[in-house]
Amino acid sequence: MDRICSKEKKASIAVYVPAESDFVLKNSLVTAWPGDAGEAVLEGCFPAQSVWAEVGKRLIRKRSAVLGLLLIVLLCLMAVFGPEMNRYTYSEQNLNRKNLAPGVQILEKTRIINEEETPEIKYWFGSDGFGRDIWTRTWVGTRISLMIALSAAMINMVIGISYGMISGYFGGRTDMLMQRFLEIVHGIPRLVVITLLLLVMRPGMMTIILALVLTEWMGMSRVVRAEVLRVKEQEFILASRTLGAGSIRIMVREILPNSLGPILTQVMLSVPAAIFAEAFLSFAGLGIPAPQCSLGSLIFDGFNCFTLYPYQIIPPAAVMVMLMLGFYLTADALREVLSLKR
Amino acid sequence: MSRDQEILLNIADLDLTFPTAFGPLHAVRGVNIELIRGQALAVVGESGSGKTVTMKAVAGILPPNTKINRGSITFTYSNQEGLQKSTDLLSKGKRWMRRHINGKRIAMVFQDPVSSLNPTMSIGRQLTEGMIWHHKASKKEAWNRAIDLLEEVGIEDAPKWMKCYPHQLSGGMCQRVAIAIALSCQPELLICDEPTTALDVSIQEKMMDLIRRLQRKRGISVIYITHDLGAVARAADMIYVMYAGKIVEKGMTREVLYDPRHPYTWGLLLSMPDLNCENQRLYSIPGSPPTLLQESQGDAFSPRNRYAMIVDDKAEPPMFAITKTHAAATWLLDARAPKVEMPDELKKRLEGMKKEAGDSGRG
Amino acid sequence: MAEDKKEKPLLEVEGLKQYFKINKRHTIKAVEDVSFAIYPGETFALVGESGSGKSTIARSIIRLYKPTAGTIRFLDMDISSRISRRENHLLCTQMQMIFQNPTASLNPRKRIETSIGEGLDIHHSDWSKNRRREKIMEMLIKVGLSSEHAACYPYQLSGGQRQRAGIARAMILQPKLILADECISALDVSIQAQIVNVMKAIQQETQTAYLFIAHDLSMVNYISDRIGVLHRGHLLETGTTKELFSHPIHPYTKSLLSAIPTLNPAEGKKRMSVSYDYSTSGINYDEGEYRLVGGSHMVKCTENEFKRWC
Repeated sequence: MDRICSKEKKASIAVYVPAESDFVLKNSLVTAWPGDAGEAVLEGCFPAQSVWAEVGKRLIRKRSAVLGLLLIVLLCLMAVFGPEMNRYTYSEQNLNRKNLAPGVQILEKTRIINEEETPEIKYWFGSDGFGRDIWTRTWVGTRISLMIALSAAMINMVIGISYGMISGYFGGRTDMLMQRFLEIVHGIPRLVVITLLLLVMRPGMMTIILALVLTEWMGMSRVVRAEVLRVKEQEFILASRTLGAGSIRIMVREILPNSLGPILTQVMLSVPAAIFAEAFLSFAGLGIPAPQCSLGSLIFDGFNCFTLYPYQIIPPAAVMVMLMLGFYLTADALREVLSLKR
Repeated sequence: MSRDQEILLNIADLDLTFPTAFGPLHAVRGVNIELIRGQALAVVGESGSGKTVTMKAVAGILPPNTKINRGSITFTYSNQEGLQKSTDLLSKGKRWMRRHINGKRIAMVFQDPVSSLNPTMSIGRQLTEGMIWHHKASKKEAWNRAIDLLEEVGIEDAPKWMKCYPHQLSGGMCQRVAIAIALSCQPELLICDEPTTALDVSIQEKMMDLIRRLQRKRGISVIYITHDLGAVARAADMIYVMYAGKIVEKGMTREVLYDPRHPYTWGLLLSMPDLNCENQRLYSIPGSPPTLLQESQGDAFSPRNRYAMIVDDKAEPPMFAITKTHAAATWLLDARAPKVEMPDELKKRLEGMKKEAGDSGRG
Repeated sequence: MAEDKKEKPLLEVEGLKQYFKINKRHTIKAVEDVSFAIYPGETFALVGESGSGKSTIARSIIRLYKPTAGTIRFLDMDISSRISRRENHLLCTQMQMIFQNPTASLNPRKRIETSIGEGLDIHHSDWSKNRRREKIMEMLIKVGLSSEHAACYPYQLSGGQRQRAGIARAMILQPKLILADECISALDVSIQAQIVNVMKAIQQETQTAYLFIAHDLSMVNYISDRIGVLHRGHLLETGTTKELFSHPIHPYTKSLLSAIPTLNPAEGKKRMSVSYDYSTSGINYDEGEYRLVGGSHMVKCTENEFKRWC
């Protein structure tokens, strides 16, 4: 053993000291070398884990993603159950009790509000100029805003994916025509589209969704097209084609799963964009007709009497901020997680 | 190897870990490499054996999340005053490395010549950049030196190419330019990471010849990183065979190629196609290299080793010295091990090689 | 080997030209008048440097490009022009491809099992789940993977294992011809040997013919029966492996042969490599014609060159 280099000896501290009996070949050397190739050795195979499970795991580890998702879940829950939590409905008016300040037990003690005014009926977030409960209206507004935004985003996704897929996959003349058409549509300002739409349709949720879809799908289709162009050239697509896979199969089974990351991010980003667009429309007076409300129209109402009753604008504005923050944080984290290369 | 030969680079017991999503990746597990000034050394191993990471450590371009567990990299160079100085590169920061080592004293040539050049900069600018930064050369001076360099690496009509962009050059030309850039600051050590893998066979040899010629002419030291023993057989003075983050065999090129002792080296040599042999089936090392995520007890090569012994699963083999320069890490060299000969197939091949060498020596 | 084959060729490429029009003035002539045939059960290797048009030929054969001129016949049907649905179906099941980059050729979002089974899903959608699974497992074992690999994703496998999966995917429909486009050049030398052995073993069992495309002559020596040397879109020299290796005619072939790296550190120091440069060699490929050297050994050259070289 004295032939061992001294340096190596030091490195192997507390190792097994081999005994004479260990020096036996494990395999008999009867089989002629060169031996057979390609025995399967499953060493180093990681635990098989689906890509999405992996993404989920990484997402949970990100603090911003967890915060964003928490916000979204919380606000969605409130949008569903919030309006039922007290005995008012969103349209119930009580002109005797208009513009009441928030009446929460704790707040009373802080003397923010007049004690003479505190009747037995209390509004948690106060009441508006028609004596409607702002708490209920805020959550109903959240519900409507979310419904508009989510359905617009979903319809956008479907249209965008199909349009972008077809345009990117077939390329050539098809792509050229489709892209020129898209550019023309993109050139029409949103307000013009909506004003024209309102001429032919009654104002309401469907109209707003339609308006948002008509003006927002281009972004999605561009993202999808870029993704398709990237994935299309890869060899596994070629492999699929040589196996005889049809175009639809390739698009759905090969390209789509590989471009889901950016698509998902884009969807997540398009939700807050839709919420904001809806708020903008309502603010411009083109939104949901009264007595229905959305976050945008609530903010508009609050804005009108902001100097007199500043508390009226706070709940809808805060909810909107949190909602948008939640979606942006999640989308951002998602993008980071999905773009990670192995 | 006489004692008075100066050791340029000494990697001692280097041990590195990367954190990954799947747990710590123990990429380098106690590597010892010695490079003598003016010599060429080849680190040979399969992909994932840690050879590139080791050399990245030398060049100071490890990813920031690398954990250095043990070891040192001692680099001996002459500083501005012309004095010999030895430094442990691992103890220095990135800034210091950039100013004193990267490009100036240790330069790298990468595998893919096309992507290692900046496509938006002309050849001339990329060549002169380093000289202007490291040697404070004037633009004019650097430009003239760059033309000389291009001619030195075998590009004819150099002034014409100075204004060109990488996409206008062929793959072989790009690699020549990359070598010229690496040499532009007169480094003492050139690290070539798979310098020929991305090139056509017909250019590969020319490229190796070029590097070898430059090495002799300038007296620099070269480290080749490769998976192809054939590519470096003639270029390297020393060969280090690396497997699973460890050196399993080292020695002078002739010692390793004519008298390999480690079963892994046998496998590597046998899996090289040989034109002289009529065998219908190539030998290949079964299985695939381990991923280095798991810590293995004993010899990491044991699952793929046809000559594995029981001891291989229990204890890690130390380096057994065979000659002064030749050593291999396999228990087969232990005095207690059964006598195992290298496969006949390989023996025949090596004899053929030696005979050819003898013939050419006489002729 | 070719002359004693009484059977009909599996694939016949005749006078194939493939030009790519870049713009009005520039046309890239990727493949220029190439003819060869592949017989059932044999391996034909196309060798040449990058840009010599070898991958283009493969892609023309699998109908990715429409040939500018020439015909490609496979199983007695002309596949260089429009083909019917039935013919296309036949083509997809009888001709498959193994790709250069094992990482890019497997869908990263699919389990190995799904990737390998894709051919079955398309052409044998009536198969029961069990039968499909059995077939996939059989293929996995055949290429040297184990059933545990079926559930893995490509990133969990090493390069060699991925290439094995690629072979399994191509083989599962039991095609008569496999186009292997540089299928080993992205792998380590030690793994290359594994893949070549697997391919040979499968060939012995199933009598599949290979069109093996490579730039490295040393592996070609092991796997192929006949070789075609390609340079700048021209097929310069064809012949059996033995003919070509022992008696190369064209200077380009000679230079390729001399460039094969050898392990011997000593021999190499003496050996001179034959360098070859088309622009200074004075050879004009366009003027050359195919001339028979002997056996099945053909070389493309003019009369004068032929006299000079032989």
